[in-house]
Amino acid sequence: MSLDAIPIHVIPHHASPAAPGEPGLTGNAPPLLRELAEQVRRLLESGESSAIDLSALPLSPADLDWLREKLGSGEISVTLQASGESTLKETACPGIWWVTHHNEQGAVTAQFIEVAFVPELVKAHPQDVEIGREQLELLISDL
Amino acid sequence: MQGPLIDTLVRQGVSRRTFLKYCATLASMMALPPTAGRAMAEAMAAARRPSVIWLPFQECTGCTESITRSHSPTLEGMIFDMISLDYQETLMAAAGHQAEDARLAAMKDNAGKYLLIVDGSIPLGLDGAYSCIGGRSNVDMLKEAAKGAAAVIAVGSCASFGGIPKANPNPTGAVSVSDIIKDKPIVNIPGCPPIPVVMTGVLAHYLTFGTLPELDDKGRPKAFFGETIHDRCYRRPFYDQGKFAKTFDDEGARNGWCLFELGCKGPVTHNACATVKWNGGTSWPVESGHGCLGCSEPDFWDAGGFYKALSVPADPLKIAAVAAVAGAAVGVGLSFANRSKKGAAKSAHETTTLADLEK
Repeated sequence: MSLDAIPIHVIPHHASPAAPGEPGLTGNAPPLLRELAEQVRRLLESGESSAIDLSALPLSPADLDWLREKLGSGEISVTLQASGESTLKETACPGIWWVTHHNEQGAVTAQFIEVAFVPELVKAHPQDVEIGREQLELLISDL
Repeated sequence: MQGPLIDTLVRQGVSRRTFLKYCATLASMMALPPTAGRAMAEAMAAARRPSVIWLPFQECTGCTESITRSHSPTLEGMIFDMISLDYQETLMAAAGHQAEDARLAAMKDNAGKYLLIVDGSIPLGLDGAYSCIGGRSNVDMLKEAAKGAAAVIAVGSCASFGGIPKANPNPTGAVSVSDIIKDKPIVNIPGCPPIPVVMTGVLAHYLTFGTLPELDDKGRPKAFFGETIHDRCYRRPFYDQGKFAKTFDDEGARNGWCLFELGCKGPVTHNACATVKWNGGTSWPVESGHGCLGCSEPDFWDAGGFYKALSVPADPLKIAAVAAVAGAAVGVGLSFANRSKKGAAKSAHETTTLADLEK
């Protein structure tokens, strides 16, 4: 293995990094809005849903806050209890959902913005519905 | 337990949504596109369990500890329900000849299709006599088991690179799996021990796509070993600002500054500790105030001292300038002037040169 160079540079304390405006913003968040606009267009035209994996992008906590603030909050908020809590919140733009998965200790394990009429996780799977029907029949037979 | 995996999981009280969520998180950790989570869930739910044979060689059982105690009793362990672990000395109920029979039967029944997991290095000294199981040398057993394997997964730094048994002067003649097996796909999952999710991630990838994930030049999955600890370290901004802890109990250490000068090997270590963390996401070495030892890199044991600062100048002028600003000139200057006199330096912050690290 050849040891890679370690690049060193000094960031003066007074200079603000990267993006203009607030400290902590990298400037990586605004392009996501354009990406989302394109995904919403695809959803409307072909019904194709899509998602952006927020942990895969170089976004600072400030970027995430900025994004969340811009997208706002909508009418629906879904909470899922499945080995830790997951929240699926509609934003002020219908069809755009902010999805956060937590583990049992409450730490965030994954964060997505999903573009869909209904997020995938919310729908019941036909096989599960089938199991529910069997359960109902049991209940009815006990009447 | 036969039949599709999802049935098995449902019987164990794991809901479909729990499984979907697990797959989405796993896909995210493996840097796969978000849609892959769904594909993974579908493929894995329907998958039949592949046979897995796990051979422990010259090792300390730390790798097994790490993986079996991961996020128990939750989903990390769940992936073990997706495979049929037909031989694992430490975990299996059978012992002695019964255990060896189980191994041979699995090899015969699943010839060409089973996954072979190896932890521990393989000693070649004295014809392999330093480590034997049931009277047979490790090297013999490895060659025999690899013959019918679809792929070999080397778990831990010992199986991947030789690890601590191979440390100078390597009394047993220990080597890695890839030093012996040349005609099978090999995935190296180094680390002492490795991060459990890397291992489950590789298995999930194999179950989903029927292939092994993309590997780097050392045979490691790129999704987890693509970046250095340093690249993803939360203390990185302090490095960039030239703020370093100089001892383990100084102001800098208390402020959580960069541990580079205390010998942190983060800049040359490829692993996912900084993002995945340990013990269910609780913490990791740097967060606990200790530098990275570089345990997932080849020959980390002989890399020149855990508490010696790395010194790998890329651009001497730039480094010199920064060092002056940051007051870190001591080590860097030394290593430039005295590459040959590494042993003589008495300074507490004696640096390790490039040559030291590569030897």
